[in-house]
Amino acid sequence: MSAKIIDGKAFSAEVRARVGEQVARLKAAHGITPGLAVVLVGEDPASQVYVRNKGKQTVEAGMESFEHKLDADTSEAALLDLVARLNADPAVHGILVQLPLPGHMNADAVINAIDPAKDVDGFHISNVGLLATGQKAMVPCTPLGCLMMLRDQHGDLSGMNAVVVGRSNIVGKPMAQLLLRDSCTVTIAHSRTREIETVCRQADILVAAVGRPEMVTGDWIRPGATVIDVGINRVPAPEKGEGKHRLVGDVHFESASQVAGAITPVPGGVGPMTIACLLANTLIACCRANGLPEPEGLTA
Amino acid sequence: MVETLIPARRAAAIDGRSIAARMRAAVAAEAAALADAGWAPRLVSISVGDQAASEIYVRNQARAADAAGVGFEARHYPAGTTLEQLADVLDGLNADPRVNGIIIQRPLPAHIPVKALQRAVHPLKDVEGMHPASIGNIVYNDLALGPCTAVAAVEILKTLPLKIEGLDVTVIGHSEIVGKPIAFLLMGLGATVTVCHHMTRSVAMHSRGADAVFVAVGRAGLVTGEMIKPGAALIDIGINRIETPGGARTVGDADFDSCAEVAGWITPVPGGVGPVTVAVLLKNATLATRLQMAQTRDSFATPES
Repeated sequence: MSAKIIDGKAFSAEVRARVGEQVARLKAAHGITPGLAVVLVGEDPASQVYVRNKGKQTVEAGMESFEHKLDADTSEAALLDLVARLNADPAVHGILVQLPLPGHMNADAVINAIDPAKDVDGFHISNVGLLATGQKAMVPCTPLGCLMMLRDQHGDLSGMNAVVVGRSNIVGKPMAQLLLRDSCTVTIAHSRTREIETVCRQADILVAAVGRPEMVTGDWIRPGATVIDVGINRVPAPEKGEGKHRLVGDVHFESASQVAGAITPVPGGVGPMTIACLLANTLIACCRANGLPEPEGLTA
Repeated sequence: MVETLIPARRAAAIDGRSIAARMRAAVAAEAAALADAGWAPRLVSISVGDQAASEIYVRNQARAADAAGVGFEARHYPAGTTLEQLADVLDGLNADPRVNGIIIQRPLPAHIPVKALQRAVHPLKDVEGMHPASIGNIVYNDLALGPCTAVAAVEILKTLPLKIEGLDVTVIGHSEIVGKPIAFLLMGLGATVTVCHHMTRSVAMHSRGADAVFVAVGRAGLVTGEMIKPGAALIDIGINRIETPGGARTVGDADFDSCAEVAGWITPVPGGVGPVTVAVLLKNATLATRLQMAQTRDSFATPES
């Protein structure tokens, strides 16, 4: 048996198109354009690629993109000052501070300085608590993207056994919250879990978010399960030439796709969904800021 | 999952009252130290409308606070008080340096949204651990002011000779103030946690695999002996009033007799989680006071001092 491949590229394009339609409608009916400010500190090459992609897709969806690039030696006070200006700017509905920040900065302090209503990454402590207490919040983009793919596959998730591997603040924990909200029975497995294979084999839905290349193999997977692979790992690929790399997930795709019912590939699975959800969150933040009804079905 | 715990003939009943007494003694020492520094901790309790429903809680809290050297003032407001008026009251208490913690007694009248009121408490005075920022801190594994019942349940588990890291735990009930915070607290301590609820296909399948089971649903008799692995710990958070031929009784969510035959440890109801919850509230009061003291000193410190 061979698993259905969940095409994150195609699905994310659909989501972005829907966001684009809503943005056009907002402009036509109310003269409002959602705006996303992205702040990049330093020259981390991976971050530069992300920021460039985010900017491009923001503009393609018809939104305003504001990019702020600061030197690596910028003081924390100067960054907080910029965040305060963006908080006060009515043209900015979403603020994203690209992580990681340089070592001399306290990332928590910076994130918690963002107005929670503009925190489109959903990392502000108030948004974390609002999500945990079932209140209206900004939901972190990556787990939101995973949830949307799962809903697209299954419709109703209630009663399904979900296992989330990894307990990170940005994926594992919010993922568990979202799955609970959709009435899954949720287990969170992690580095201290005993017999993790056995735990994973109970899962109808398996979400892997640990950052360890190809850790989850086919024999960890219950036949027919849906596998969402959040990991993005660069591993050496000598077959492509000396010094070359390739991207792999936390799931060993070859063996897992023999057992699973559906599986996301890496790349082209969860990754593209993250930016699509960022755009959706910015749109939602804009609607809330203007007291307008939120478009249905774009976020969780 | 395969490792079995030592099977006990009959479960040891966990004495919540003595755990609470030990915690209160530590709180009393801390409260005295704070008082010496000019920061005697003081709580204000707010009830709205029908007092009978929360009276017993208020009385228990007042008595425990008194025993631990924590100030306690109970305020009652009439049922017709509006949300705006209560928010004004909270503003005043938030700004008052002589008030270190605010308790909002439930139930509240139907026209008062409880979450809105909890959000209006300053996070540094949120001794009940109900503010979204407090819950967010729990999720992020910063264990400052946690929701009292959830913290109490976890504190009880910590008194048992079990290694929490790697422990398989099933939490039955996914309420925002008990079930979910318990799950996140235990996950932070390294347990593998499964959260079950009314949509779970087979709760027994999950609970039977667990080294420790927490139940917080509010249904008497929900957990029976055959749902428990021999030797496991059972922490019962439910409080239910039931009618028996001998009169009304308070029981938990577990069928105590059948569970005690199988479990290694079990909390009784009453006398288990309840008293520890009050002790955690008082511990939060001293913690909140210390945080406020530090914040005040930071705000007024000069660079040279």
